[in-house]
Amino acid sequence: MTDLCISFHKGGGRKLPVIDAANLSLDQRQAVGIVGESGSGKTMLCRALIGTLPRHGAETVSGTVHFDGQELAGASERVWRGIRGREIGYIPQSSLAGLNPVLTVETQLVESITAVGSLSRQEARQEAFALLERVQIPRAQQVLKARAHQLSGGMRQRVMIAAAIAQGPKLLIADEPTTALDVTIQREILSLITQLRQELNMALILVSHDLAVIEEVCDNVMVMYAGASVEAGPVEALSKAPRHPYTRALRVSRVDRAVPGQDLEAIPGDAASVGSWPAGCRFWPRCALADDDCRRDPQPALMPTAQQLSACIHPERIPELEL
Amino acid sequence: MAALTSEAEEKLQPDAITGPLLEGKDITVTFGRGAEAFDAVRAANVTVDGGEAVGIVGESGSGKTTLARTLVGLQRPSAGEVRLEGQKVFSAAAEQGMPRSERWKTQMIFQDPYSSLNPRMRVWQAVAEAVQVWQELPGAEARVEALRLLNSMGISDDQARQFPKSLSGGQRQRVSVARALAPNPKVLIADEPTSSIDQSAQAQLLNLLRRLQAERGLAIIFISHDLGLVRYLTSRVYVMQTGDIVETGKTQAVLERPQHAYTRLLIDSIPGR
Ligand SMILES: Nc1ncnc2c1ncn2[C@@H]1O[C@H](COP(=O)(O)OP(=O)(O)OP(=O)(O)O)[C@@H](O)[C@H]1O
Ligand SMILES: Nc1ncnc2c1ncn2[C@@H]1O[C@H](COP(=O)(O)OP(=O)(O)O)[C@@H](O)[C@H]1O
Ligand code: SF4
Ligand SMILES: [Mg+2]
Ligand SMILES: [Mg+2]
Repeated sequence: MTDLCISFHKGGGRKLPVIDAANLSLDQRQAVGIVGESGSGKTMLCRALIGTLPRHGAETVSGTVHFDGQELAGASERVWRGIRGREIGYIPQSSLAGLNPVLTVETQLVESITAVGSLSRQEARQEAFALLERVQIPRAQQVLKARAHQLSGGMRQRVMIAAAIAQGPKLLIADEPTTALDVTIQREILSLITQLRQELNMALILVSHDLAVIEEVCDNVMVMYAGASVEAGPVEALSKAPRHPYTRALRVSRVDRAVPGQDLEAIPGDAASVGSWPAGCRFWPRCALADDDCRRDPQPALMPTAQQLSACIHPERIPELEL
Repeated sequence: MAALTSEAEEKLQPDAITGPLLEGKDITVTFGRGAEAFDAVRAANVTVDGGEAVGIVGESGSGKTTLARTLVGLQRPSAGEVRLEGQKVFSAAAEQGMPRSERWKTQMIFQDPYSSLNPRMRVWQAVAEAVQVWQELPGAEARVEALRLLNSMGISDDQARQFPKSLSGGQRQRVSVARALAPNPKVLIADEPTSSIDQSAQAQLLNLLRRLQAERGLAIIFISHDLGLVRYLTSRVYVMQTGDIVETGKTQAVLERPQHAYTRLLIDSIPGR
C-alpha cells in the first residue's frame, strides 16, 4: 500500500480526507500491527483493504494497493467479491456484536463457507464443525446449535475468527479483536490467532491501540497518527529505539513502566480530528520537539532512519528510551 | 509540593471517625428466583479508608459492577449492609434506597462514558445539572461551577459548549469525572473507566485520578480486569471470581506473591509479560 488517500463524501460533491498518507507493506505469512490513537483512521484503512469503503460513504482518492499481483485501489465490486473472504479474511471491530442474534452459529458459518459455492449443504455442515474445532471451541456440536446471546464474549470472538478463516484466505485482517475482552481471554485469542496463522500460512494485519498486544504477535508495526503513517518497521526497533515522538510517547505512557505514586508521561492535549488537521507535521501541537520547520506544509513523508521509516523531520533529537 | 502534602494529610484525617470511610459488610446480591437464582456477589466484605485507592479485579461477569452498584446505593443487596463513616446507610432490610443525605458521598463513573451522558445536553449542561442537584446553586452560578470543574479536568470552555458526540472517548470520560465530582464526594468508584479509550487518553485519566486522590484526599475504588492498571493506581486490591472475593491484600504483595491460582492467571495475562 503506497500513499493511500481516502476521503468521505460530503454534500455538494465536497470531500473530507480521513487518510492521506497511509503506507504499509507485508510479505506472505508476515504479521504486521497497526497502532494509533482512536480516530486516526485504522478502521477506514482496513475497509480499504476489503473493498467496503463505498458502504461507509468513502472512497480511495489516490495511491495504490498491490495485493498478490493485483491492483486493488479503485477495483470494482466484482473484483472485490473474488477477494473478500476468499483471499482476505476480516474480523471487524466490535465484532462481538457482529453475529446475527436470531440465527444459529451453524447457519452463519455455513453461509460463509458456501459463499465459495462448490460444497453441498452436508459438507458445509461438516466443515462448520471442523472450523469450530480449529478455533478450539470445546463442545463444538452444541455451540453450532447456539445463538449469539448464549455465548460468552471469548466464544463469540472465536466464532467470528472461524467465519473469517472459513475460505482459507492468504491474509487475515483483525480490527481490535481483543479490546472488548478480559485480559485472560485476550491472551487466549491472541495465541489462537498466532497458531492459526502458522497452521494456515496466513499473513496477518492486527489493529490495536495497545502496543504491548502488537509486540506480542507481530513482526512489524505501522504507527498511524491523524490519517498518516508516521513510523513503520520491525517491532523490536520501534520498541527499543522509536524514531517518532508519538511512538515514543506511546511507549513511555504505558502503565507497566510506571512507578506507583508518580505521574505517567501522558501526551498533552488531544488528537487532531478529521477535518481540523494542523499544517505540517500533525503531531506538532503535542510535540515537545516541534519547531517552525515542523509547522510548515507539506506534511513530512516517511523516510528511512536507523532500522525503520519515520515521518519525523528531527529523528536525531528524540531522547533515548531508558529501559 | 510541601503544601500539597500537608493539605493531603489534613484531608486524610477523618472528622473524629475511626474505622473505614465506606464499608460493604457481607454483601450478597442474588438475581433471579427459584431454580434460576444465582448469586452475582456472595458474602463480600470490602472497605475503603479516606484518601485510599483500592482496586477490584476479576474477569467479566465476576460481580465487580454489581458490588460497586450496591456500594453507591444503586443496587439493593439481598443480604448484608453498606456503612458510610461508621453508619449503616443501606441494607437488604432498608425500605427505601440510600438516603439523599448520604448518596452524594459516593459517586461512580462507568465503563462507557457515552451511554452515561445525555446526548441532547451540551457538555457544560450535563455537569451544571449535577451541580444544581447537589450544590443547590442557581443556574448562572451552576454554570460557572460546571466550567470550573470541566477546566480542572482539562476540558476547555470551547469543548464544554459541544455535545458529547463531538468529543473523543477520553474527553467524554473526563466529563463524567467532572460530573461525578459535582457533589464534592468522598469516594469515587471508577468502573473500568479506561476500557473504551485509547492509551494516551488512558494515561491522562489515570494521572487525573491519582491527583484527585493525592491532592484532595478523594478515596478511589478502581475496578478493572487489568492488573497492570491496578498495580499503578492502588495500594490494596480485592480479586473477584464468580461472585466471591478470592484474595485480598496490599496490591504489591498480591502481585508479587499471589496465593490464588486465579490471581496468578490474571497476572500472567498482562500483555507484554
Ligand atoms: N461518515 C463519516 N463522516 C465523517 N467522518 C467520519 C465518518 N465515519 C468516521 N469518521 C471519522 O473518521 C475518522 C477515522 O475513523 P476510524 O474508524 O478509521 O478510526 P480508528 O483509527 O479505527 O479509531 P478507533 O481506535 O476508535 O477504532 C474518525 O475521526 C471518525 O470520527
Ligand atoms: N440486573 C441483573 N439481572 C440479572 N443478572 C444480572 C444483573 N446484573 C448483573 N447480572 C449478572 O450478574 C453477574 C455479575 O455481573 P457484573 O457485576 O456486571 O460483573 P462484572 O462487572 O464483574 O463484569 C453476571 O453474570 C451478570 O450477567
Ligand atoms: S516533525 Fe517536528 S513536530 Fe513532528 S514529530 Fe517530528 S519533531 Fe515533532
Ligand atoms: Mg477502529
Ligand atoms: Mg462490569
